[in-house]
Amino acid sequence: MRAASRASKTADIWFRVVAGLCASTPVLFLVVIGVVVLIDSIPVIRYMGWHFLTGVNWDLGDMYGNMVVRNGVSAPAGATYGALPYIVGTLASSVLAMLIAIPVSVCTAVILAYRVHGPVKSVFSILVELLAGIPSVVFGLWGMVVLGPWIVHDLGPAINRVLGFIPFLRGSAGTGLGLLNSALVLALMVVPILTATTRDLLEQVPVLYREGGIGLGMTDWEVIRRICLPYVKDGLIGAVALGWGRAMGETMAVLMVGGSGMNALPHTIFSPISTMASVIANQLDSALTDATHLAVHALAELALVLMVLTLITNWLARILVQRSSKTLREGVRA
Amino acid sequence: MKWNRKQWAGLTASAAVLVTLAGCGSGAGNSDTSNAANSTDNSTSSASSAPVTLNETGSSLLYPLFNSQWIPAYKSVHPNVTINAASTGSGKGISDAVAGNVQIGASDAYMSDALVQQNPSMLNIPLAISAQQIMYNIPGLSADKHLNLSGDVIAKIYMGEIKQWNDPAIAKLNPGVSLPNQPITTIHRSDSSGDTFLFSQYLSDTNSEWNTKYKYNTTISWPSLGNRSIGAKGNDGVVTQLANTKYSIGYVGISWLDKATAQGLGYAALQNKAGKDVLPTKDSIAAAANAMVNQVPDDERISLVYAPGDNSYPIVNFEYAVVNSHQSGDVAQALKDFLQWAIQPNGGNSSQYMDPVHFLPLPSSVEPKSEAQINKIGS
Amino acid sequence: MNQSRRLRRKLGSWIGFGGSWLATALVLFSLVDMVATILWHGVLSFRPAMLWTVTSGNGGGLENAILGTLYLVFLAVVISAPLGILGGIFVSEFAGSRLASVIRFCTEGLSGVPSIVIGYFGYLFMVIRWGWEFSTLAGSLALTVIMVPYILRSTEASLQQVPHALREAAWGLGMTKSQAITRVIWKSGASGIITGVLLAVAIGLGETAPLLYTAGWSMYNPSLALTHHQIGYLTYVVWTYIDMPYNESHALAYSAACVLLVVILFIHLVLRTLVQRRWSRTH
Repeated sequence: MRAASRASKTADIWFRVVAGLCASTPVLFLVVIGVVVLIDSIPVIRYMGWHFLTGVNWDLGDMYGNMVVRNGVSAPAGATYGALPYIVGTLASSVLAMLIAIPVSVCTAVILAYRVHGPVKSVFSILVELLAGIPSVVFGLWGMVVLGPWIVHDLGPAINRVLGFIPFLRGSAGTGLGLLNSALVLALMVVPILTATTRDLLEQVPVLYREGGIGLGMTDWEVIRRICLPYVKDGLIGAVALGWGRAMGETMAVLMVGGSGMNALPHTIFSPISTMASVIANQLDSALTDATHLAVHALAELALVLMVLTLITNWLARILVQRSSKTLREGVRA
Repeated sequence: MKWNRKQWAGLTASAAVLVTLAGCGSGAGNSDTSNAANSTDNSTSSASSAPVTLNETGSSLLYPLFNSQWIPAYKSVHPNVTINAASTGSGKGISDAVAGNVQIGASDAYMSDALVQQNPSMLNIPLAISAQQIMYNIPGLSADKHLNLSGDVIAKIYMGEIKQWNDPAIAKLNPGVSLPNQPITTIHRSDSSGDTFLFSQYLSDTNSEWNTKYKYNTTISWPSLGNRSIGAKGNDGVVTQLANTKYSIGYVGISWLDKATAQGLGYAALQNKAGKDVLPTKDSIAAAANAMVNQVPDDERISLVYAPGDNSYPIVNFEYAVVNSHQSGDVAQALKDFLQWAIQPNGGNSSQYMDPVHFLPLPSSVEPKSEAQINKIGS
Repeated sequence: MNQSRRLRRKLGSWIGFGGSWLATALVLFSLVDMVATILWHGVLSFRPAMLWTVTSGNGGGLENAILGTLYLVFLAVVISAPLGILGGIFVSEFAGSRLASVIRFCTEGLSGVPSIVIGYFGYLFMVIRWGWEFSTLAGSLALTVIMVPYILRSTEASLQQVPHALREAAWGLGMTKSQAITRVIWKSGASGIITGVLLAVAIGLGETAPLLYTAGWSMYNPSLALTHHQIGYLTYVVWTYIDMPYNESHALAYSAACVLLVVILFIHLVLRTLVQRRWSRTH
């Protein structure tokens, strides 16, 4: 054994400092993005106030006319930025997507965890995880050329026939682009996240618990229903929150299959929608032709709202996942 | 141990170099020969000046002319000038040019007064004359039969006041035509578009309700008709959406006319200021342009929409190159040369390039004004 | 009565598993349909010449987009891999638990920030404020912001799995902490770190939203200049050319999607085998 030389100690310190600087980059990125987006949205917060969140009209105003000044902010005449349709579009498409994705992924995870074994299991698992790697434009492309026509010709009429008595589910399928298409594509995008997490959680349920259930005379399904699923509940909720955050922030797929709905809340499941993310992508070039730059600031506030929403769900998810992994570990020990 | 330090030092140094390179920002000067080296073999007969790249974004109406006609043609004359075009919508063309992201912003709309005041060095240079047609997808309507439509009726369709193709208001304009009893789907541009600008100008000129509520702009806060109104990106997107959607209506730039009719779409004869129904033809577009030429100001920002005259087609416009007059040396000269070439009757404005996209060359009284604006470009 | 209850429970079980199988089939069918649709159209429309011609007119080739994508992702990896790996090492080995949790918290947050927000930020900051115009560097820095959290997290996770005894042994030999890491510990964590980097590459290859307003688009092969020169990428082709009413444009879009899909699926398969091998070795 030899003592560390002076040189290696300096090297150690240098290494620490450099590594520390590198480790601080995510913090830096997050803070800078947050601050820039916040500062950029101040003029619109002053101009619109709470109406930004409750207004239905998104109108850049008469850019070829005169500018007006309101609340100390100059804007094209008639400009109003009501983000409610986009907030609702984001929430509706992502919630609907989760409603579809949760049962599907939990069921798939049950099969993957308990019903298939050996090579079949690993092939299935690989396939599901591959789904997670597919770029979102490819999802969008598939939604446009496959799901769209299918909704128009088969799914739309079928929903109308079977569930048409519910107002929200009744109506013409239009072009097939809209809320339903977005929700289906988003659901498929979050299924791999949910399935993989749920499968891992289910595999960690102690065998003792399951055997106990069987010993009580439960059927296999009842063991899953009454013992395994309640056991992994926290982790599952965490995974759901994680997937939900992803669904809310998705841009390209929704831009391609959402139908770019504007200025109205969705009336039916087939209505064209825009989400906050797709509006930012779609409207930035329009906004940049506004001489007062207020439209760009409006998009910044949209980005702010979106960022806050996704950060909250994301962090909530992490906390829940962490809590559940702790209880799981304790469970294994017990 | 030394090896380790070196390794880490190397890693951090490379990161640092990248960051500093980035910090300098203005690294444009370094050679970009690889850019010019590709595709076309420009080895021979090259001029002495250094290779220059001109970037263009904007109007999807101008794009077919730029991309399929002008770029290959100019490349054969000036092999050391590389022109890169992207069809992004006029709004992005304007904003990219103003921000200095591109040298040429193509637009069907001129810049607003406010934007010009804010950026006094920006020029709006007409390159050609184009038009816009109203297109529809009505299965069963024979291809050589054109519906007659007025701006007032179209505005009512887009505002949801006219919902069916066999509405009395449409039937009144088209006696003897059997119109389908089908709901109309309206298609509009979802990107910031000069076509939207022209279309909404026509509607504003002809329907007072439209004029007070929506006015004209490159982006309109469209009335929502549920899933009976759809946004599409670019003229290309509108044509695709029209073709995919039965009983739909939309507005399409004239350079896309051949492609659109090949997809089975029809286009309307529009009611002009004199109350006549006119189809977009060479003559009717020229008539509209000629009715307006004597009003063209020196900065050439003027609308040609809804021009007077019996034979004038109502939706006609200048195709603008939005250009910053301050450019760096090489680029300024290359840009000037290209724009001068583009507006010459024996250059870019010759019929061999104009005819395939149904554009018209600049009228002889307008061309000098464009030329004077081009000459303002300098470093 | 007991009989009917038994029957009901059996039926419930049957329905439960039937539904589960159905769900699994649905997921697998969607996946297969998506991959098959893209590959089918892609292979039909793909011509080898696309690999060495650039985009022109309404179609052309993909050389510029492929090279551009590689260049963007390469630059992004060159920047983000050191940041992420060193950052991960710091969080795992040096940081106190409070500092580590702060960094972890922000990293999780950053990975949850929608990519369009990062693109928007990149546009306002790099393209406009710093005046880089649409450029390779702006695009790859936007990708970097997206890739760093993944690399950092997977580095940290794989280092956490290295047994503490190994560290103690290294320290016991008189090594400083950094020597222990650079000589001993990284070897056990290497496959995990590589997995993280590859995963980040796969993500970078498939991104569109952060590049729309930072990288621009170019029909020519990328120049080496970092700023002031636009650059093409594959996802742009998919997004734009599918909307054009030309068959050759659709062919190009499908080919681009197909190339992307094949490359990304390949990376994921490599990843899977890497992970599986490691797993089977440690267990």
